[in-house]
Amino acid sequence: MSRKSERLVNLTIALLATKRYLTKNEIFRSVEGYEGTDDAKERMFERDKDDLRSLGIEIEVGGLDPLFNDEAGYRIKPEDFKLDLGEISGIDIALLSLAAQAWNGEALNEPAHSALVKLQSMGIDSDLDAIPTLAPRMASSHHELTAVLNAIASRTIISFDYLSSDLVKQSRQVCAYAVASRDGHWYLSGLDTAKDALRTFRFDRISEEIHTVGKSGAYEIPTGFDLLSTLDVELNTSVAVVEIRKGRAHALRKLAHKIEDAGEWERIWINYGDATLFIDSILWHLDDAFVVEPQSMRESIVRTLQTLVKTHG
Amino acid sequence: MVKAKPAPILDVERLLALVPFISAHQGISIKDLASTFNVTPNQMNADLTTLWMCGLPGYTALELMDLSFDSGYVTIRNAETLQVPRALNFDECISLLFGLDLVKNALSEKSQLHPTIDALVKRLAEKSGLTTALRATNPVSAGLRATIESALKSKLDLVIDYHSLYSDEFTKRTITPLEIRLDGGIEYLFAYCHTADAFRVFRLDRISEATPKQVSESHRKNATVKSDDSHECEIRITSRLRLMSERFSLQNPVLSAPQKMRTYSHQWVVRSIFASAGSCELVSPTPLRAQIALKAQLMLDRYMQSEHA
Repeated sequence: MSRKSERLVNLTIALLATKRYLTKNEIFRSVEGYEGTDDAKERMFERDKDDLRSLGIEIEVGGLDPLFNDEAGYRIKPEDFKLDLGEISGIDIALLSLAAQAWNGEALNEPAHSALVKLQSMGIDSDLDAIPTLAPRMASSHHELTAVLNAIASRTIISFDYLSSDLVKQSRQVCAYAVASRDGHWYLSGLDTAKDALRTFRFDRISEEIHTVGKSGAYEIPTGFDLLSTLDVELNTSVAVVEIRKGRAHALRKLAHKIEDAGEWERIWINYGDATLFIDSILWHLDDAFVVEPQSMRESIVRTLQTLVKTHG
Repeated sequence: MVKAKPAPILDVERLLALVPFISAHQGISIKDLASTFNVTPNQMNADLTTLWMCGLPGYTALELMDLSFDSGYVTIRNAETLQVPRALNFDECISLLFGLDLVKNALSEKSQLHPTIDALVKRLAEKSGLTTALRATNPVSAGLRATIESALKSKLDLVIDYHSLYSDEFTKRTITPLEIRLDGGIEYLFAYCHTADAFRVFRLDRISEATPKQVSESHRKNATVKSDDSHECEIRITSRLRLMSERFSLQNPVLSAPQKMRTYSHQWVVRSIFASAGSCELVSPTPLRAQIALKAQLMLDRYMQSEHA
């Protein structure tokens, strides 16, 4: 372990414990580890400040009094340094711990683990009995997930190559609004600047790296934007009536919001968004599922079946 | 875009986190500390030795932190300045926010815990500075996964209700769970299926119910994994290349030209060709082609009949 680590810890303690700003000279005199010429100490201190900042520890500069030509002073504000989640119960700790454990091996596993250690350092016992036995697991995520979230937090435009439906790389530039995970996939929503419209992208279709473009604060995010609700609306704009064989097509039955008995069959009502993808899932069920309505969908299914007969016959 | 922190900086981060952790776990063993912080016991010893030299300016016994760890168990005194854990950083906040939403979605709708989670989300969202909701759902029930993980740990068998996607049938099976694996965003349970008397792979999101069951020794008989019983198929993609390459898990998908692939289930191939709605054709084997043509004609007849009815 280096002397440097020791000095940085001592500097943190000194700046955190002080009630007033400490001048550089006071720091050099009192904090263990500052040695050599004045210049050397200065350089050391500048590097130390940068190092602490890279750890998210902000050193506040103050104590300048123009009337007295004072030296600048330094301190770390305890309220910025210390964890303060307000009043926290054992149930809160149990829920937060469960939330952290969900990342098991995935992109945010490291911050989730360090957050868990912090929670366990609060001296509050986790009330596990108060919550059900659950093992939530986050879907495998993209290595650029945190980069995108940082861009969202700072509202910086991002650019990336996206695989089109024909697997052609297309360059996209997006004002990212939100990120969410559903059914094993991660999604990113935002304003596509070229199309000037809201678009949702799947992370695993983003090729290679994501770059930031221009400065932070470049756009506004609609308040309360919720990616999954937006996706829900997109996914459920139309209704189809489908007949499914009893004891079959369970996946479709699960999606139905109304079911009627029809002898050997059941008639179900399902919401859908993208008609093409919906037809795909109907055809997966072969002769166990038939579309009754809408008529346009019946027609495209008939065309598809004619193609299948022709190409495979 | 995120730069990795150099080693001495990481050391400092760990040292600062160690003080509150030890304070909350007085008497913890060096071994446990090392595993909590993902370092070797030797490194942990070095960490503790460094901390032992740290404290308030003056650095006499009065100011230094009072650390004792000779016995292999660690206690700390006189560490008030660093005793409260550090504030959560941005990445930590978002990891918890996503996790909390996942937990919330795993709870029953009637659970009393929803307001508690909402309050936590509100507090963390303020700290993260993000104004949009961080949402996460998982098709696999978190309660079911907990049952399976606990069966794996205590070496119990499970009785499962399974919906096979290929045959579109529900079956009840007794299995010996072996391992949960993640592949392409989907979780699979590798298991020995006593109902089929063979090794089987189950998708977790297709298991609707799992009940632990005591194992009788005779049950845990040895079975050999069948050698590769996959079949070769040839397909030709005519449109929607991205969707088709995802559906058929193709490494180097090409348009228009026939390409080979391997599959374990003919049922899956037939259904996948139908679900491709004309974007993909089966080139071989011939009997399966005939089966597809026949089935398509059968379905077409029904559409035509109801059209004229």
